[in-house]
Amino acid sequence: MAQVTINNLTYTYPLTEEPALREISIEIQAGEFLAVIGANGAGKTTLCYTLSGFIPHFFRGELQGKILIDGLDTANSKLYEIVEKVGLAFQNPFNQISGSKFTVYEEIAFGLENLGLPRDEIRSRVEWILALTGIEDLAERSPYALSGGQQQKVALASILVMKPGVLVLDEPTSQLDPIGTREVFQVIRSLAHSGQTIILAEHKMEWIAEFADRVLVLDKGEIVRLGTPQQVLSDINLLSSGIGLSRYTRVAHRVNQQKLWPKGQRYPISLQEATEAFGRLLSQEGGSKK
Amino acid sequence: MRDRLSFYILRESPIHRMNPLTKLTLVFSLILLAFLGPVEWLAILLFTTVILPLSFLAHVGREFLSATARLLLPVIGFLFVMQSIFLPGGGTALVQVWVLDITLENVNIAFVNATRILTMISSFLLLLLTTHPSALMSDLARRGVPGPISYTVTSTLQILPQMQVKAATIMDAQRARGLETQGNLMKRIRALLPLVAPLVFGSLVDVEERAIAIEARAFNSPRQKTSLVEIDDRPIDRRIRWGLILVVIFLLGSRLWLK
Repeated sequence: MAQVTINNLTYTYPLTEEPALREISIEIQAGEFLAVIGANGAGKTTLCYTLSGFIPHFFRGELQGKILIDGLDTANSKLYEIVEKVGLAFQNPFNQISGSKFTVYEEIAFGLENLGLPRDEIRSRVEWILALTGIEDLAERSPYALSGGQQQKVALASILVMKPGVLVLDEPTSQLDPIGTREVFQVIRSLAHSGQTIILAEHKMEWIAEFADRVLVLDKGEIVRLGTPQQVLSDINLLSSGIGLSRYTRVAHRVNQQKLWPKGQRYPISLQEATEAFGRLLSQEGGSKK
Repeated sequence: MRDRLSFYILRESPIHRMNPLTKLTLVFSLILLAFLGPVEWLAILLFTTVILPLSFLAHVGREFLSATARLLLPVIGFLFVMQSIFLPGGGTALVQVWVLDITLENVNIAFVNATRILTMISSFLLLLLTTHPSALMSDLARRGVPGPISYTVTSTLQILPQMQVKAATIMDAQRARGLETQGNLMKRIRALLPLVAPLVFGSLVDVEERAIAIEARAFNSPRQKTSLVEIDDRPIDRRIRWGLILVVIFLLGSRLWLK
C-alpha cells in the first residue's frame, strides 16, 4: 500500500469562493521523492499544509476527499497524531525557531521533549541528527545567532529528529542565498538517499531535476502534469503555467526556435544532459563542415 | 544579542546550584515579609542582611549592585520627591521648598516604601542573575505549570530582542523613503505610525507561522513532556523551602497576634 494516498481532494480556504485545491488524487510510495512545482498561488503551500494535517486542523475551511498517511485518515485524526507521522518545514527559517530555547542543541530537543522521550534517547537522537545534518559545530550557539542557511538546517534537523515517516518541505530554500541553498539541498540529498519519503515544493528546477523521482505540476489548484523529471521538466509548454524552466531547457528551446535542434529530441533538464546534448550537436556540426 | 534580555551570569556558587523553585520561594518570602512583615524596617534589614550577602555568596555581587542601582535609583528618586512633597498631613517640617513643607513623617514613609521596592526588585534580580531562564521554566513545567505558560515566558525573553531588530530595520526603511524621525516631539510621534503598523502586522504573520512550527514539533501532544536539562532538587532545597514558608507564616502570624 502507498504511504500517502490523496483521494479526490478539494479544499477551499475560509472566506474565499474559489477552491485552492481541486480534485487532487495521487499516491506516494514509501521512499519516494516527489517534487511539487507551480506558479505562486498554484496551491503548493496549501498542498503541503494538507499533507501535514494543518489543513483542516489549523486552517479551517471546507475540505472534501480523503488523505491517508500510513493508514491514518488526517481529517479524522488529531493534529498531534499527524505530526508524529509527517514532518513539515517551510520557507522562513527564522519563524521555525521555537523561541523558547537558548542553544541549537536544546532547540532540536524541543520536539522530543514534547513527545515525552527519556533523556538518554533525546541526547542520542539529537547527536545523531546533528551529525547527519552536519551542524555539530553549531550545537552550543544561540539559534538566533545563525545565518539563514544554518537556521534552515537547524529547522530541518528539529523536524527530522522526530523521525517522521513523511517529510514535507515547503520551499525550504526560497529565502536563502546560493550557498545556503546548496547546504540545505545537500542535507535533502542525503535524506533522499537514506530512503526518507520526501515531498518538496520548490522553484529551483536544477535541484529538482537532480533528486526527484516524480514531478507534480500544479496550476490554479489542479494537477496539470505528473511524471518523471525528464518527461515533465523538458516540456516547454509549462512556461505558460508560469513555471520557470531551467536555463538548460530554455537554451535548448531557443536553439530549436532557430531550427538547429535535432527533431524529436527531448530538451535537456540538467547540466549533465545539456553537456551531452550540446556536445553531440557541436560535434555533428563540426563533422558536417569538414 | 541573545543575552540582552537575560541577566543570567554563569558562575559556580551554592546559589547557582540551588533549585530554581527554592530561589523563587525565597524571592516571594522576602517580598511578603518586606511588605507585610511585623515591622517597617524589616525591608531594609532583609536587603542588607539577606539579599546583599547572598549576592556576594553567588559571586555576582558587583553585577548585582550595578544592576540594582541602574534599575532602582531613578524609581526611588522619583518616589522620594513625590511622596515627601505631595503626601498630605502635617508634621515636623524639615525644609520648606517654595510653598511645600517636606515633613519628617513623609520622608519616613518614602523611605519605607523605597526599601520595600528595593527588596522586591533586588530579590528578583538575584534570582535572574543566578538562574538560567530555561532551567527555571523546565523546573516549573516539571512541577505542573502548563507548557504554554512557560513557553510564553521563555519565548518573550528571546523574541523581544528580535522585535527590536525588526523595528530598527523598518525604521531604516521608512527613513530611506524620506520619513522624518528626528526633531521635535510632534514629528517623532507622527513617525511612530509607519513604524508600528508594519511591525504589528508583520508580527501577526510571524505568530501564525511560529504557531505552525511549534505545532509541527508536537507542542500540543497530550504525552507527558520530558526535559533535556536535569535540574537538581536536593533534600536541602526542600528543607530550605519549608523553612522559608514557616518563617513567613510565623512572622506574618506574629503581626496578627501582636495586634
